[in-house]
Amino acid sequence: MRTEAIDPPGIDWQRVSPKYVTVRLVEWALANIAAILVLSAPLVFVLLGWWRWPPLWLAITVPAATLLLALWRLVLIPRQVRAIGYAERDEDLLVRSGIFFQRTMAVPYGRMQYVDIAVGPVERGMGLCTVKLHTASPGTNARIPGLPAAEGARLREQLASRGEARLAGL
Amino acid sequence: MTTDGQLPGPAQPPAGTGPEATGTPDGEWLRVHPASPFVRGWVALAAITFFFGRDLFERTLQGQPVFEDGFARRAPWLLGGGAAVLAVAVLGFVLTWYFTKYQVSGGYVRVNTGLLFRQHRQARLDRVQAIDIVQPLLARIFGLAELKFEVADAGESAVRLAYLRIDDARQLRATILARASGAEAGFGAGPAAGAAALPGPGSPSAASFAPPAPEAPEIQVLSVPPSRLVGSLLLSEQSFFIVVGGFASVVLSALTDNRAFYFYLVPAALGLAASYWNFFNKGYNFTAAVSPDGIRLRYGLLDTQAQTLPPGRIQAVKIAQPPLWRPFGWYRMQVNVAGYGTSGNAVEGNTRTILLPVGKFADVLAMLSLVLPDPGTDRPAEVFAAGLTGRDSDGGFTTTPRRARLLAPLGWRRNGFAATDTALLIRSGRWWRDLVLVPHQRTQSLAIHQGPVARRFRVADLVLHTTAGPVAPRLTQAGLDEARQLFDEQSARARLARKRQTTEQWLRQVVPAVEPAPVPGTPVPGAPYPGAPAIEARTHYQQEGQTHG
Repeated sequence: MRTEAIDPPGIDWQRVSPKYVTVRLVEWALANIAAILVLSAPLVFVLLGWWRWPPLWLAITVPAATLLLALWRLVLIPRQVRAIGYAERDEDLLVRSGIFFQRTMAVPYGRMQYVDIAVGPVERGMGLCTVKLHTASPGTNARIPGLPAAEGARLREQLASRGEARLAGL
Repeated sequence: MTTDGQLPGPAQPPAGTGPEATGTPDGEWLRVHPASPFVRGWVALAAITFFFGRDLFERTLQGQPVFEDGFARRAPWLLGGGAAVLAVAVLGFVLTWYFTKYQVSGGYVRVNTGLLFRQHRQARLDRVQAIDIVQPLLARIFGLAELKFEVADAGESAVRLAYLRIDDARQLRATILARASGAEAGFGAGPAAGAAALPGPGSPSAASFAPPAPEAPEIQVLSVPPSRLVGSLLLSEQSFFIVVGGFASVVLSALTDNRAFYFYLVPAALGLAASYWNFFNKGYNFTAAVSPDGIRLRYGLLDTQAQTLPPGRIQAVKIAQPPLWRPFGWYRMQVNVAGYGTSGNAVEGNTRTILLPVGKFADVLAMLSLVLPDPGTDRPAEVFAAGLTGRDSDGGFTTTPRRARLLAPLGWRRNGFAATDTALLIRSGRWWRDLVLVPHQRTQSLAIHQGPVARRFRVADLVLHTTAGPVAPRLTQAGLDEARQLFDEQSARARLARKRQTTEQWLRQVVPAVEPAPVPGTPVPGAPYPGAPAIEARTHYQQEGQTHG
């Protein structure tokens, strides 16, 4: 499905590392395999004849539906990762994400209170990191995941120095 | 009824303080009023009394002897234990008081607390967001007050000084605001002046070597009559649901022939009475005044509170009208102020964010003229009226496009935005009318959101991020092109507005919008005059609009 982007036209988006797909895949696997195993337990018990209550069709439908949903999410992951982008403009940083639920956010450099870098275990293995921006508003939930470590460090320094130059009060 | 009923004690870090105070070089370290531990601790004493009293009361009710047979033997132990608990509590209070010290000097307020866990807090005066003087009933009886200020440079932002004598609290507020506004030049002279402005608990008045900052004169702008407050409570959403709920339970019990439904009403009624009382107690005698220090809000029946919001510290404003208020033309105004939203106590946070509990359109305009001295448009009254009651393109609003009317069948002609030179106005709601104002220079960041359904209709939501609080500005279902254009324009406007605002000290910053330079002693421009606030506000708004429209 070709969709019209909501972000302002003419912006040169920086994309995140394709390796971030792997990180998302690992996260996906951990979350969904556990969920499906738990949801399949009643099916096993019913088949073994230990449980009577959930009828067989229900015991099959629930994990099957979950599995389908999980597979669909799996298929979307590469596209979601490709949809993540950021652009450093003169006065603000644009961050975009999402395909179905798109979001484009502009965070002025002067409003940034602090910038931090988070690295999870899987990300560390891939040499990636996540940069998070914080303003005085709890609504500013701007994070750029899947940056190569060097790029993340560069971005943080860049943002910090730009923020310092333009820092405004609240 | 103390604002925080916390028991002091070594285990609680915020309650106590550090004796390293003496090591600090400049300024004079002062203690809060000696009576404050008892004013603070009365809740604890009341709790102890209640705990033992209830037992006695229940025994009496059950017809048991108040004292059991074995009581005489245990009495000494009980009395001894009670005395020990009391002594420990009193000692805790006194130690807490002894180790709590504060100092105002060199552009900072420092507060030291803590006996075992020392805490040293330092707040920059030019970052003061709001300053409140709170008087719980008991403190009021003793002529004491708590001074509380929000500073936006720390995670846990409220700095509290409880309790000071009311005059000292006012004096300290004036000093802090004078420093914060930049009215008092020379931070170098800080320590002496600061210390002098703060008479210690015992000393009768300020020392003579430096004049304390004078209290800024203020002019009353509006007040809310109690009758209107009661009316607004009776016609609130809450009352509506009560009537519906009461009716439903009566019908249910009649239909099912079951009395049980009536019994639910008793606790519900008690809870509601408490909630109404809380609103009434907090909203009673609400007055708003203006001074060079900012907007002063005073309210309260038993516990009184006086809030001061310095100019330009308001991050966002919401004007709302529930459907039942419409025949009377009443509105409610709430604000986001940095620090208010994050205060631990939800009820307290709620009351503090109310800018106007209930008021007519003229009152709303009067308050808006204080919050936004420069409306940034030629015809502010018209634009705001359109924002509150209008539909379609009245007053220059851009609404949800017709193609998306299925998404908001009732509200699509209301949902919309208008941008003036100084603020963005977002209106919404057909029945529950809302108008949100965000000054351009207060916009933190902004985002466009679009889901799959919205994409089908080519609309998008625009969200402005502001500090935590009751106002969450979100423009729903704007046309995609308009939203995208607004996103760009709004970024640019916010950037320009930020550049214009150069310093945190509001008397020093150059604001082209304001006509005469505000100095202490003259009212802030934009302040309507007491005689006829409504008309003054409107005419002022019009004049001001013409000067730089």
